[in-house]
Formats: sequence, structure tokens, C-alpha cells
Amino acid sequence: MASASASTDAVPKKTVILRADTSGTVNVRHFDANALKNYTRDKDFRYEQAKDLSWWETFWQWIWDWLAGLFKFKKVPGNWILTILSILWRIIELIVLVGGVAALIYFLLKAGGVDVRSIFRRDSAAIVPYSESDENINTINFDAEIEKAAAAHNYRLAVRLLYLRCLKQLSDAGAIEWKIDKTNYAYISELKNDTQRSAFSSLTRRFEYIWYGEFAIDARSYNDISLAFNQFNQQGS
Amino acid sequence: MEDEIFEQRTDLTQLSAAVEQIKATLGKIIVGQQDAIDLLIAGILADGHVLIEGVPGVAKTLMAKLMAKAIDAKYSRIQFTPDLMPSDVLGTSVFNPKTTDFEFKQGPVFGNIILIDEINRAPAKTQSALFEVMEERQITIDGMRYQMDEPFIVLATQNPVEQEGTYRLPEAQLDRFLFKVEIRYPSLEEEINILAQQHQQVTSEQLAHIEPILSRGDIISLRKIVKGLRVEAKVLEFVAKIILETRSNKSLFLGGSPRASLAVVNAAKAFAAMRGRDFVTPDDVAWVPPSVLRHRIMLTPDKEMEGVSPDEIVKQIIQKIEIPR
Repeated sequence: MASASASTDAVPKKTVILRADTSGTVNVRHFDANALKNYTRDKDFRYEQAKDLSWWETFWQWIWDWLAGLFKFKKVPGNWILTILSILWRIIELIVLVGGVAALIYFLLKAGGVDVRSIFRRDSAAIVPYSESDENINTINFDAEIEKAAAAHNYRLAVRLLYLRCLKQLSDAGAIEWKIDKTNYAYISELKNDTQRSAFSSLTRRFEYIWYGEFAIDARSYNDISLAFNQFNQQGS
Repeated sequence: MEDEIFEQRTDLTQLSAAVEQIKATLGKIIVGQQDAIDLLIAGILADGHVLIEGVPGVAKTLMAKLMAKAIDAKYSRIQFTPDLMPSDVLGTSVFNPKTTDFEFKQGPVFGNIILIDEINRAPAKTQSALFEVMEERQITIDGMRYQMDEPFIVLATQNPVEQEGTYRLPEAQLDRFLFKVEIRYPSLEEEINILAQQHQQVTSEQLAHIEPILSRGDIISLRKIVKGLRVEAKVLEFVAKIILETRSNKSLFLGGSPRASLAVVNAAKAFAAMRGRDFVTPDDVAWVPPSVLRHRIMLTPDKEMEGVSPDEIVKQIIQKIEIPR
């Protein structure tokens, strides 16, 4: 109980006396099972999933749940051998799964005509886009085009076509290997037959002077050049 | 019959004779290195500066000196050192007590053929002194403009940047060189010839007796001829395609500038003239890009780490572009 101090200006002190618990009995209280059931049924207490998820968020939620499930290893209490075996089994499952997905992608790419090995190949230099004109020497009707150009007195173009036809014939005969980056000089050096090389070199010179050098030629000169090209082609074939 | 049709439109007789004479003179002293000699001659004909790179002892300076000797013009040599100042190259204004005025003392860059030895041993500050003179052939100091006499040719030598005590030249300066000529080690046969020549003291004797082959006037007139050579529209397009590709190539951090395009065309013209033609063919063009571009383009760091050379990239670019015909 509280008792007042003798001093008038001092703060009065309270003395609390705790009584010793001598009952010896503990009253165990239990949750009310019905109340618990009511709580668990109450939607307000369900926190597992956020409300109003969009289909995109739901999809990712599912992906993450699935991934988390993949790496969840089961522990067998009291048996470490079974625990290790269970982990190993899960790892094998994962390897099979990843391998299956990789194989599926590989076959899909292959079916789509993609060179799969080129994706992983380390190229030492840049991949330069292939640049080629729309003109294809394999599809040109040379005889008709040459005749057309000559008839139009476009002898420069006619000589160019004569030269391209000559290259095509050499390529068809296997004397040269046609490649877009090869210069005329490269084709000359490729010819093994000395006579053929000398004749082709002379024709190349004429083509270069007319085409790159823009030397004007008349009908007479064109006829001479055309004859030289035709003779070369006949000798080659 | 051929000669009847293709009458010479341009007289290249003097040019061809001079080229042959220079080649023969240089060939007496320089063993091998034919491509390098061709590039040096082409550089001079195309009104360009030439950077010669090689490890020590491969006759870079000798080659430049010989070329300078073959031309009868004012020659000066600057040895680039780490403490060289821009005024040591260009010149400086000095106070004259008699006239109580400043007088400009011309530096060694005032000449026709400037041999800059070991150019990459001087820092960027000194290199920048050359920017104006190399491109515009003039120097502006103290508000005064000094025009260089024609021809103005810079022949510079350098060791590869991996060598001790060298700096990488600024990109702006590298772009001003028409060619970077790489001097490689001689073959076994060439090495034996070098030893034999040195043993007989042929080199020093011949070097002392070299007579000029071309005068200043000759160079100016030959350059005019080379400039006037024909380049067909498709051949120009071919050059443009090559340079454009260097700008978008994934292996390159820095591609060729429009100055590089002009350099390819000018160099191809010089080669066409050296081959006796007054027009350019794709063969002339295809030979040029490695020497014109190797110092202008920059590889991406990963390609550099892989040890890819700029020449390889340039070669691959050319391989993918169709030869116009």
C-alpha cells in the first residue's frame, strides 16, 4: 500500500507489493476452432495472391512459381542418403528438361533453314553484306542484248556485253571461277593456257579502254572487236 | 588494230620514264620492297603525304631519303623527339632589336620535301602543329599566313606503336596521310643481297651519287596529268561502296572519312598513270584500299584483342563488293 513521506516537498513514493503465486495450476487456453475456421474462410485474410492481376502478370506469376518449384529440393528428415538421391534426381530432371528445350529450338531453327552452327561460330571478322548488282550473267540473253545494243549504235554497251559473255563462257568451261570480287586481271592470271591468256588479255584491254576509258568507237571498230571476241569464244569452246 | 582505236589522249611518256628511272635508282640501293617503292611514287604523284612504318632497321629512313634525293627540291629533315615543341617545327617570332620588331624565323617545315623521322616519338601537342600545314599547305602564326611552296610532301617514318617510347598519332593527323606503307622484314634472298651490298660498301657510295630525277616543275606538271585522269561513274561508286562499308562494319569502331574516299580515287589515278593508262580500272582501285585505310580505320576493342589486322577487314570488305563491269 502507499504511504506518505514525512517531507512535504518530496514526491510521494508508491510501494507495490507482489504476492507470490502459490496456486501451482496453469490454465491452458485453446483457440476457438470455430473462430479459426471462420477466419480461414474469410476472403479478407487470404494473402496468397494479389487481387486484380492482369493476364500478363498472372502469366509471369505462373512462370516464377514454376521456376521456383524446379529448384526446390526435397529433404528427407533423418535420411541423408535419400536427401542426396532426391537432389540428384532433381538435377537429372533439370538437365533433361533444358536439353529437351534446346533440342526443340535446334530442330525448329533447322526446319526454318537457319544454319545453327553459324550462330556459335566465332567469326574473326565482320560479316559484310553481300553486294551484287541485279544483273546476273547467267540469265542475260547475250545474243539478243548485244544485237540490240549494236543496232542502237551503243557500241560501248555492246562491247561490255561481249566481254561479259566471254567471261560466262570461260566460267562455264571451267577455265575461270566466276566471283563478284575478282578483277579482270585476276581472271587473266587464272587462265592456265598461255595462248588463251594472251588472247583474253588483249580482249580485256580493249574492253577496259572502251568501258572504263570511255574511248569512242565507231561501227567499223566495233565489228573488228566483235570479230575478235567471237574468234576467242570459238577457240575456247 | 588496238593502237588505231586507242590513240593516247594523254601524254604519259614523261611520267612513265620518270617512274621507271626512280624505281631503277631506288632498286639499286633498296633490296626488295617493290610495293613500298610503288606506293611512295604513287603518293608523290597523287599529291599526298606518306607514312612509312616498320620495326627499326628495315630501311624506312633510307627509302624516304632516297626518294627525297630523287627530287630536285628543297629538302629538310626533322627528327621528332619527345621534347620537340610546335615552334621547333613551324618556326617562331623573334624580337629584332635593330628594327624593334618581331621577325618570323621559319622552321624546318618550310620546304618541299619534309622527312619527319620517328614521327610518333613526339607527343600530340607537337603533332597538332602539322595539322594545318599537311592539309592546307599553309601555316598561320601570329595572325600571319604563310603559304607553302609546291610541291609540299611529308614523308614520315615511325616504329609500330607497340615499340618503347612511341605515341599513337592523333586520328586527325593519320587521316592526312595518303598512305601508310608497311615495311616488312626482307626474305632470306633479300637479306643475303643486303649483306652483300653492305659488304662491298655499295650502298653508301651509290647514295652519295644519286642524281635528281624530277624537278619541282616536273612534279607539279605530272600531278596535273594524274588529277585529270578519267574515272568512270561505276568505278567511283565502287570506291564509295568500299568506304561506306567501313563505316557500318561491325568490326570497325571508326570507318573511312570522305577524305579517305578521295584518297582512294587519287591513289588509283596515280596507279593507273604508272601503268600507262589515262583512266582508272577496278584493278587500280582494288590495289589501293589497304594502304589508304589501314591507318584511318580503327578496330573494335574485341577485334583488336583477337589480333585481327585492319588489312584483313579491308580485304574482306572488298571481297564482298562486286567489281563494276
